[in-house]
Amino acid sequence: MATRLQFENSCEIGAFSKLTNAYCLTAIGGSENFYSAFEAELADVIPVVKTSIGGTRLVGFLSVGNKNGLLLPHTTTDQELQHLRNSLPDQVVVQRIEEKLSALGNCIACNDHVALAHTDLDKETEELLADVLGVEVFRQTVAGNVLSGSYCALSNRGGLVHPHTSIEDLDELSTLLQVPLVAGTVNRGSEAIAAGMVVNDWTAFCGSDTTATELSVIDNVFMLRGDTRPGDGFDGMRKSLLDSYK
Amino acid sequence: MPRRPRRHQRLKSWPITFSPFGRALARMGSVSKPKRHSESIENHTPSSASNGFVKHPLDEKPEGSESSDGEFDGVVQADFAFFDPKPNDFHGVKTLLQTYLDVEEWDLSGFVDLILEQTTVGTVVKVEDDEDEGIFALATALNLSRYREQKCIIQLKDLFLAKASQEKGVADQLRLLLGEQAHNVGLLVSQRVVNLPPQLLPPLYDSLFNEVSWATEDEPTEELRNSFRFKHYVMLSKIYKHKNPEQKRKRSDDSEEAIVYVKPEDEIFHTLSSWSFCFPLRTQQPAPHEMKNYRSMGLIMAVEADKIPTFRQELGSLINES
Repeated sequence: MATRLQFENSCEIGAFSKLTNAYCLTAIGGSENFYSAFEAELADVIPVVKTSIGGTRLVGFLSVGNKNGLLLPHTTTDQELQHLRNSLPDQVVVQRIEEKLSALGNCIACNDHVALAHTDLDKETEELLADVLGVEVFRQTVAGNVLSGSYCALSNRGGLVHPHTSIEDLDELSTLLQVPLVAGTVNRGSEAIAAGMVVNDWTAFCGSDTTATELSVIDNVFMLRGDTRPGDGFDGMRKSLLDSYK
Repeated sequence: MPRRPRRHQRLKSWPITFSPFGRALARMGSVSKPKRHSESIENHTPSSASNGFVKHPLDEKPEGSESSDGEFDGVVQADFAFFDPKPNDFHGVKTLLQTYLDVEEWDLSGFVDLILEQTTVGTVVKVEDDEDEGIFALATALNLSRYREQKCIIQLKDLFLAKASQEKGVADQLRLLLGEQAHNVGLLVSQRVVNLPPQLLPPLYDSLFNEVSWATEDEPTEELRNSFRFKHYVMLSKIYKHKNPEQKRKRSDDSEEAIVYVKPEDEIFHTLSSWSFCFPLRTQQPAPHEMKNYRSMGLIMAVEADKIPTFRQELGSLINES
């Protein structure tokens, strides 16, 4: 079941946090509520680490990672790098990379097996993605947008993409990524999916403006409801959610 | 037939032809090709249109043949139009109100919903035919008693009272206005992007206060009509106060003011206010060089509704002379 929360009145929680199957990063915020929400869900399972990146709170936009590793932009300070290396599990390789597109979270969407990358990403970055994160990299746009990281939220079980993604693109992406995909919105109609939510294999967090319908779609596509089969609940909801004109 | 607000009847009495807008129209009519205007922004006076929203008939985009070098010389042409709040405006309005209560966590989305539901009083300023539907400014007045059950209003009232707790005399007056007299009190909310042209301010406030007076006659129920008979307006704004006010007297040139108002109309409101007080804001943003001696403060003040005509007059002259 997805949880709703906000970071200092902003519903763009994907900007201020990064969630993977092995760890969770959160920004250092004004109130403890943000961090506590993550702690409540994840404390027993994976470490929740408070950090900044390059002195900013935008940990979600600037970093990309999965259970194998974490890549950080060149603006990350040495202290932040050391702090992260100390706090994260040993099997997670933390690396700072030289990439001119330094908002890595906006440019790259990934799970533990595949990644969708900005079309102008450096060759070295692509190789590092493959080596450090252990993923197969596809340079793809999402609904015509090069910032694949912003407009797509991905886990090993499903993905949510920009609402204007065409059916053909959805099918193509779904084949590449080998997970079921749904085009939808988060935070009451916002198209920046990855800014509005973070997800891993068993839980998700969304901005507090997210409507109940959006939450059900998220629960279904990422299979957060326990023992449902792929697309199970969604097919049931399909009639009430989508109009089809024959 | 049920009576509907007939705004354009009242607007006909406005002297549109003598406004800068009218002069620009006349100018446009006399030349064959639109030339680049010396003033960068076309302002608006409400002309006859339904629902109080304004149509600007001029085609402002310079023709391709006209702009010979195509370089951007820093002048942006924009048509601003005033609209009633719509549910679609949610994200734009929420962005404008993000810092309304500083960093306090409160039901901001609920507050935005309140503003958008009140279509009779409330104006949003957008750019005409803008696909992004970006909101540039917002002005509205909310009756504190009508919405007293709403979580956001309760939180807002508690916050105001908490900030006023230091100021003995004022705290009691604030408590009165927020409590017993709430049915006569309107919360004036006015937020805008920083660089909005000041020529838009008189029409914006005029449309707001006009809507308030029309609502006292046009609303369907007696209760709603009464809810707009405001006797007081309470508002929260941001100002910059000089850190060392005594230092100012030592300087020979009085170039540094004691208080810098982020919104120009706040100065007029402050002068006309029945009472006011400041409190420090928790977020201190890194100030530009000119502002390094100032710190940002919140300002809460109450203005009697009788003073509004004076305000409108002074705002007009302030904008015209600047």
